Amino acid sequence: MNAILTKFNWFGLAGGVTTLLVIAASMFYPWWQLTVGDDLIKINASPVNTNFGVLDTSFTIPFIWALNVIGLLTLLLSGVAMIIYSVMPTKSFAKPLLDFGYKKPLFTFLFFIIGLVVVTVILQAVLNFNLPLMGSTTNTLPIPFASGVTLTVLLSAGFQWSFWLAVVAAALCIAARLYHKKVATTQQPAVTTATVPSTTTAS
Amino acid sequence: MDKVRLLLTLITIVIIVVPIVGMLLAYQNNLLGLFIPPELNEIAEDLTGGGEGTNGSGLGPPTMVGEPEYDPATRTYSATFQFKNSFPVNLTIKSLSGNIECYEHGFILGNASLSKPVSIAAGETGTLTVLGTWTDEAINHFRDEHGNEEFVDVVLVDFAVDISGIQLQLDQSQMEQKMQVPNPAYEG
Repeated sequence: MNAILTKFNWFGLAGGVTTLLVIAASMFYPWWQLTVGDDLIKINASPVNTNFGVLDTSFTIPFIWALNVIGLLTLLLSGVAMIIYSVMPTKSFAKPLLDFGYKKPLFTFLFFIIGLVVVTVILQAVLNFNLPLMGSTTNTLPIPFASGVTLTVLLSAGFQWSFWLAVVAAALCIAARLYHKKVATTQQPAVTTATVPSTTTAS
Repeated sequence: MDKVRLLLTLITIVIIVVPIVGMLLAYQNNLLGLFIPPELNEIAEDLTGGGEGTNGSGLGPPTMVGEPEYDPATRTYSATFQFKNSFPVNLTIKSLSGNIECYEHGFILGNASLSKPVSIAAGETGTLTVLGTWTDEAINHFRDEHGNEEFVDVVLVDFAVDISGIQLQLDQSQMEQKMQVPNPAYEG
């Protein structure tokens, strides 16, 4: 039983599969969503797919699209590396695959969070525009060339289930790195030592 | 093992560099386009009334049509406004409110509110019915200050409208037209 448990790195396998699931889910369900008014403006953001919807017109920003391609390929390779490692954790190439794969979901998650926070802080500092990361708030916007007009918008934001799936994937990959010690130790070949009796000859 | 690490490092560099460089090359003649897609300009034109499919700004105030009606029994008045939806999306006027003020004396006569939410399809014009009730002080004001006038000039102040979750507030300077309302205390 113990041999089966330690033959594969189950955390790594689960982490790799979950990472691939995160990619698939993120194509359709954003990690973070912001809506303005009654869906008049909608921002769907994830490291894999970010798009903007304004008055029924959907578009992407080319630079963010390039970052999304990087995020997609990074997570894809990470997931594949984790799966290959997990089924062959004692091979010579396994440790480099693990080192390559286990950090990527965590780093992708951290970059996404840091990016969101930085955008929020910049908007607050430069435009005095309060962008919520979670929950709802109202903002008053200045309208250029229209004095006497005040535009107040309701903004609602929140992290979606795909975000929490990414958290699970990152956690599983880290657990795989910790569990690797146990797998590697168990799979070490047994070293037998024999004591050779010393022989003394009387002269 | 080192070869595997080297290969993985090279792959990491490639998947980071290639999309960025590729995008920079694609937009080398229009670097601003990397951050501002053409769709955003089209939307901005639509909002400011510059688009081909629009007729004026999408943020224009509603215009009053016809004369306000007054019911002496309930002291309520109703006024009809038209609002052009210049946006390429259906809108719902969820609420509308404001105060009716005597144009000559700046006296608050009563408030106004939307009778019911109105949905207006993209590019269409919707009709809004605004209801209000004159206050006792307003009736006295009509009698004391405008007793011999059949119609009294008023303006809508503190005007606010909630359009699909976006609240637009206009001060008096933005309400271009003053209205004439029937004088409920007309003695003629």
